[in-house]
Amino acid sequence: VYQVFESVAKKYDVMNDSMTLGIHRVWKDILIHKMNPSPGTLLLDVAGGTGDIAFRFINYVRSVREQQLQRKLKHHQNLSWQEIFESYQEDKSNSLGDSQVVVCDINREMLKVGKQKAQHLGYSEGLSWVLGNAEELPFDDDKFDVYTIAFGIRNVTRIDLALQEAYRVLKPGGRFLCLEFSRVSNPVISRLYDLYSFQVIPVLGEVIAGDWKSYQYLVESIRQFPPQEELKAMIEDAGFFKVDYENLNFGIVAIHSGFKL
Amino acid sequence: GQEQGSGSARPQPPEPSLLRFLVCPLSKRPLRYEEATNELINEELGIAYPIIDGIPNMVPEAARRTHKQPPAEDSKQP
Repeated sequence: VYQVFESVAKKYDVMNDSMTLGIHRVWKDILIHKMNPSPGTLLLDVAGGTGDIAFRFINYVRSVREQQLQRKLKHHQNLSWQEIFESYQEDKSNSLGDSQVVVCDINREMLKVGKQKAQHLGYSEGLSWVLGNAEELPFDDDKFDVYTIAFGIRNVTRIDLALQEAYRVLKPGGRFLCLEFSRVSNPVISRLYDLYSFQVIPVLGEVIAGDWKSYQYLVESIRQFPPQEELKAMIEDAGFFKVDYENLNFGIVAIHSGFKL
Repeated sequence: GQEQGSGSARPQPPEPSLLRFLVCPLSKRPLRYEEATNELINEELGIAYPIIDGIPNMVPEAARRTHKQPPAEDSKQP
């Protein structure tokens, strides 16, 4: 049983690439750009087991930090080499600028895959992994600057509880970001999307993961998930302000955003 | 001492920075890290969450009771 779950987690990334033709990477990039985190940001990524959002976050703050340092160096034209060298050294020791990401997932195998990926890709600083339930988070109130949940919220039984927990653990001023499959309103695109979903995806599931049923279930659960406006209302019910959403690819996925005041 | 488990060499402690944020998912109260057993302990409720492969397992189902009397009923003072 252990090995079955291990292999599902390992194939997760491959399945994502195949099902979405690699586009899920773009969606996740857009999410991070929308977040626009500055160095020193504390991120909680829920249901982010294999680390996709976490790694992108780290890359982003690293490059922002590097730009900051370069700008700083340019202003040091009049300093001696010694002084420049010293200031560069002390900045170098914190390439993330104190940014941190905590990845929380309910599935141990997903976390293990994520942790291994992190080691493989050389991520170590500012990254930690916790096994926890989105409906009952093991984090203290008012702690995080940003909360993300990418392709995870539709698997939560009580979405309202997960949203309440998200609200609780965010600092005042903190931002909630949700990336999830949503509703396509354009009839033409909708037709094509349905064809692809019901004809192609389960076949891919069988070929790649040896699992037709789960992927059929996945496609059906996407159809049953609340559409954009309904999810927006649920997020507002949890107490978030300035809630809005951005459709990607005609609404195949949507990014919902809200703020805790 | 000897460790039980799936053959990973020794128990990995959690990321130190994590301990700043982690609380008991049930009571949202602080936890104490117990190095001897590599667990996070909620003294008030008398439960302990295991840390496996460096990943704290913070779901209530995984917690074990620490065989301590809850403070209210404890008549013995150390």
